Parts: sequence; structure tokens; C-alpha cells
Amino acid sequence: MSVEAQQGIATPRIPAGLGGLLPALMLIGLFFVVPVLALLLRSVTDPAPGLQNYAALLGDGTYARVFFNTFLVAAVVTIVTVLVAFPVAWMLAIMPPALASILFGIIILSMWTNLLTRTYAWMVLLQRTGVINRALMGAGIIDQPLPLINNLTGVTIGMVYIMLPFMILPLVGTLRAIDPMTLRAAALCGASPLAAFRRILLPLSLPGIAAGGLMVFVMSLGYFVTPALLGGTSNMMLAEMIAQMIQSLLNWGLGSAAAFVLLVVTMALYALQLRLVGARRTTGGA
Amino acid sequence: MKLIFAGILAGLMATTAAKADEMVFTSWGGTTQEAQTKSWAEPFSASSGIKVLQDGPTDYGKLKAMVDAKNVTWDVVDVEMDFAIKAAKDGLLEPIDFAVVPKADLDPRFSNENAVGSFYYSFVLAWNKGAVSGEPASWADMFDTKKFPGKRTFYKWSAPGVIEIALLADGVPADKLYPLDLDRAFKKLDTIKSDIVWWGGGAESQQLIASGEAAFGQLWNGRVFALEKDGADVGVSWNQNLTAADVLVVPKGAKNKDAAMKFLAAATSPTGQAKFAEASGYAPINTKAKAEMPAEVVKGLPDAHVESQINLDMNYWAEHRDEIATRWYAWQAK
Repeated sequence: MSVEAQQGIATPRIPAGLGGLLPALMLIGLFFVVPVLALLLRSVTDPAPGLQNYAALLGDGTYARVFFNTFLVAAVVTIVTVLVAFPVAWMLAIMPPALASILFGIIILSMWTNLLTRTYAWMVLLQRTGVINRALMGAGIIDQPLPLINNLTGVTIGMVYIMLPFMILPLVGTLRAIDPMTLRAAALCGASPLAAFRRILLPLSLPGIAAGGLMVFVMSLGYFVTPALLGGTSNMMLAEMIAQMIQSLLNWGLGSAAAFVLLVVTMALYALQLRLVGARRTTGGA
Repeated sequence: MKLIFAGILAGLMATTAAKADEMVFTSWGGTTQEAQTKSWAEPFSASSGIKVLQDGPTDYGKLKAMVDAKNVTWDVVDVEMDFAIKAAKDGLLEPIDFAVVPKADLDPRFSNENAVGSFYYSFVLAWNKGAVSGEPASWADMFDTKKFPGKRTFYKWSAPGVIEIALLADGVPADKLYPLDLDRAFKKLDTIKSDIVWWGGGAESQQLIASGEAAFGQLWNGRVFALEKDGADVGVSWNQNLTAADVLVVPKGAKNKDAAMKFLAAATSPTGQAKFAEASGYAPINTKAKAEMPAEVVKGLPDAHVESQINLDMNYWAEHRDEIATRWYAWQAK
């Protein structure tokens, strides 16, 4: 190999302009833009050209309820995930690195376990004759089984569990970057622990919360397996409805319209969040 | 653009494209497909030399995508009969070649131009004996929460069955079920809505009843049969058992149509049907099959309960599938 070629690898002569980006742009175009456009096209042409699919979606109380459910579940899951993840992330950020990496491994390990297996495990735990209800009834704490499954409670528990790593990871990154001296300084200036948390730690960790929160929220919007298994029919989310339209009703036009509406609303929320928190801080968190 | 989209979809799915002396059979997985493999595919491969690749589960969306994209990788598919009637109308199915598949002994209820019966089954009332005191005797008892408290489980998807059960429980005579009075059915279902646990698949229905999570429910008779075989403490009532069928179809443009027709002939033969019924507890759709089955197996089949049997109207359902489904899911989501 010539010296020139080696240099060519080390310092590319092509300016990082459109030419160098072409493969990446083609990939995005072929696998992301084209399918979305095809989806949009189908939603206004199947079964006949026109906006009747959107009219059907927006004019029907059922679909409105399913949309509402979808955003309600995603919001509840995001909030609970933040509340649970924050203390864990803080602990991971301040504990000795060796111990932290073991705990990290345990958290990541759960992500590698099959999603369906984990969801079924929750079913076994949460159902009326499940482990939790049996234990509580055996201990005499309750005499009727608690309704923990086939409702919003079940969906929230199952989904928070699955989403936790996606919140903890960006949050730990943000928290580790915070200089611990800031908290010591706050204490020295007479701030109570609560005030130090509220006025120092929380604002500084906001980019991590925002990054993780957005990721959890957006992933939750499209979730299918967990709500289908742990929720009741009155908690039906959009992904399940779309699957019904595509797989069993073969109403691809309506399914495409529903998917496109979800996409647009999600992107609008993303844009809103970028404006509120700032693009650089959001992406810089992790 | 539509084609590109469907093409990409089908391309991604084309995991099991079959070669010349091969074909692909697709069914619902689980114990049913296992029985189909053992009773139909294996003997057929041995006698014909045609290898049968198994795929699944059946997915109507995939089937449509394959046909639309003209890239069909399934040759024989097990589907619900009301879907088959609708799919034939939409031009998604090949006609059955009755020169290859003998028609004379097939139960006419479960075969038509584009489909031959796979097996037929009944929805029966099953219960966990430990969780229910007394014996529920009719669908009306499933709506009587005072006499029979506890959760009851029904089939989750919009399909022939639950609507009819609600109407029968409300006193509609069996011969007056169709056209279905949906308002009346949903009103009846409203009375027990908070006590319903839905099952989405056969294994789930078994788990719910066996664990007592649901005290009783509407189950496929083959699933109750399997529970009894496993020694679960379940009771079953065949009163007003409701028949429906799975059928075998060949998607339009299937690449191994000739092999597929030969496979259908083997699957619907008296021997194929007898073996499958023995393994699954579902009823044969070939009228000559019973002669080849042990007497005690015949006793456990829906065939033994014809006097209390009601045939769900597949043609009615095929006609009104979408309309009923829209109302069904709207009601569920309420």
C-alpha cells in the first residue's frame, strides 16, 4: 500500500459536503423517507382517492378515545419512569465506578432479555391468582385480589420496567457531568438538601431528563406487546388498533392514515420539546 | 409506489421461498400446527417426495401483501372460514382444483370453490371445577353473575361466536340468530362487561381457565380437550355448542400450486383428517374419516353433540365482517 493511500485514509480529501454524505442520505431516503411517503400515499388512495380515511379517523369517537389512551399511557409511563429512574441514576453516578459498572450490567441485562418473556413474567406476578395478590392475601393485608392487570396499572408497571434503562442511561451521563462541588457549595451557603436538589441538581440534570423522557415517551407511543397483554380492551393503544386494521380487517388505507397521524403528532411534540429545552441540550445529554 | 411498498414488505417476509419440489404450509402454530405437521405434512412428504416447509403464524395482512406484490411465498394457508369467503371475493385466492382434490366426501358446510375444510371446531362452555360451585349449563349462565360469580373469559377478536352467545343468552332462538341484532347483543354484553377477561389466543384461554384466573369461559373444544388430557380439573358443557371452521386456501399466485393441490388432497383425505382429529380433538371435515378413528376419540368430537349444535353463519360473517368489527372494537374500547 502506498503512502499516499494511507494518507488518504487518515485525512480524507473530499470535503465533508454532500458527496461524502451521499451513502448515508441514500440509506435514510430508501429506508425511512420512501416508506413514509408510501404510507402517506396509501392513506389517501386506498380504497379510493380522497381524505375519507382521515375523515373516518377524526370523526369517530372510538379512534379519538384510542388516541387519547395512547398519549395518556405514554405520559403516565414517562412520568413514573423519570421518578423511578432518577434516584437509581443518581446512585449510579456517585457510587464507586467498579460497583456502578456491575449495577449497570444488571440493568442492561434486562434489556437483552426477550420482551415477551418479561411481559409474561409480569402477567404471572400481577394477575388475580398471581404471586403478588396471593402473597398479600396470604399475609391478610387484603381479602380481595387487587386489580393489577388488564388495566392502566398493569400497562404502566410493565412498560415502566421496560423503559427504565432508556431513562437511566442518559440520566447517569448528565448527572456524572455535574460537578459535585456545586452541591457542596450550596450546602456551605446554607441551602437545605431539598433546596440544593431543587435549585442545583434538578436544573442541571434537566437535559438528561428531557433526552430520556422524550425517548421513553416516543417509544411508549408506538408500543404494542405490553399494552396488548397487560392492558384491558379499554386501554387499547394506537399500535394495537393499527395492527388490527392491517392484519385482521385488511383496511390498509385506514391503518396508514392512523400511523401517519401518530407520526405527525409525535414529530410535532418533538419539535415543541426542541424549542422548550433547546436542541443542543437535548442531544447533548447522553 | 404502492407496489414498491408492498414489494419491500413481501421481500422482508420472504424468509422461506420454496424450491421446485418443496412447498410452504402456514398455520397458527402451537399444538394445532404440530398436529397438522404430523398428520398431514410428514406422511405427504413420505409418499410424494415433496418437502413441506412450515411457516407461521397465519397473518391476513401478510397474505394480502404477498398477493399485492406478486411475490407469494406461502402455498397453503390455514385461515378462518369467514376470512376465506371475503378473501375469495377480493381476489386473493386461487380456485381449488377439484380434479386433484376429491370433493365427494367433504362436508359441504366447510368447503367452497376457493377453500377446502381444514377442521371444524365448536365453541363450548368450559369451567374450572375448583373455581365454580355448581355446573353452568348454558350460555345464559355465563351472564348470570349472581348464580355464577367470578371472571368469565371470551374470545377477544371480532369473529363469529361472542355476539351469537350474547343473543342466545338473551333468549333469541337459534334459528332466529341471523341477521344479528348487534344492538341487543352489545346491550347484553354490557351487563357483564366488567367481569370479562379477554383471551387472544388458544394458549391464553387454557392458562386462564386452568389457573382459575377466569372461572369459566367460551373456549375452542380442542383446547378443552388438551386441558383434560393434561389432567386439569375442568368441566365442559356442549349445550348450544357453536361450530365454526378453519379452511385451507391457496393464495393467488402461489409458486407451487400443483404441489399445494396435492397437499390439499392428502390433508382432506379420510386418513389425514382422522389422524388430525385424533391428535387435536377437532372434528374432521371428511365424512369418511370417522370410520378410521377409535370410538372413544369420536365420542369427544363436536360430531357427537350435533343435536345441541348451532352452526355459526360464515357467509353472513363474511358479508358483514368489517361492519361488525368496527362496532366490536368501538364497544370494547368504551
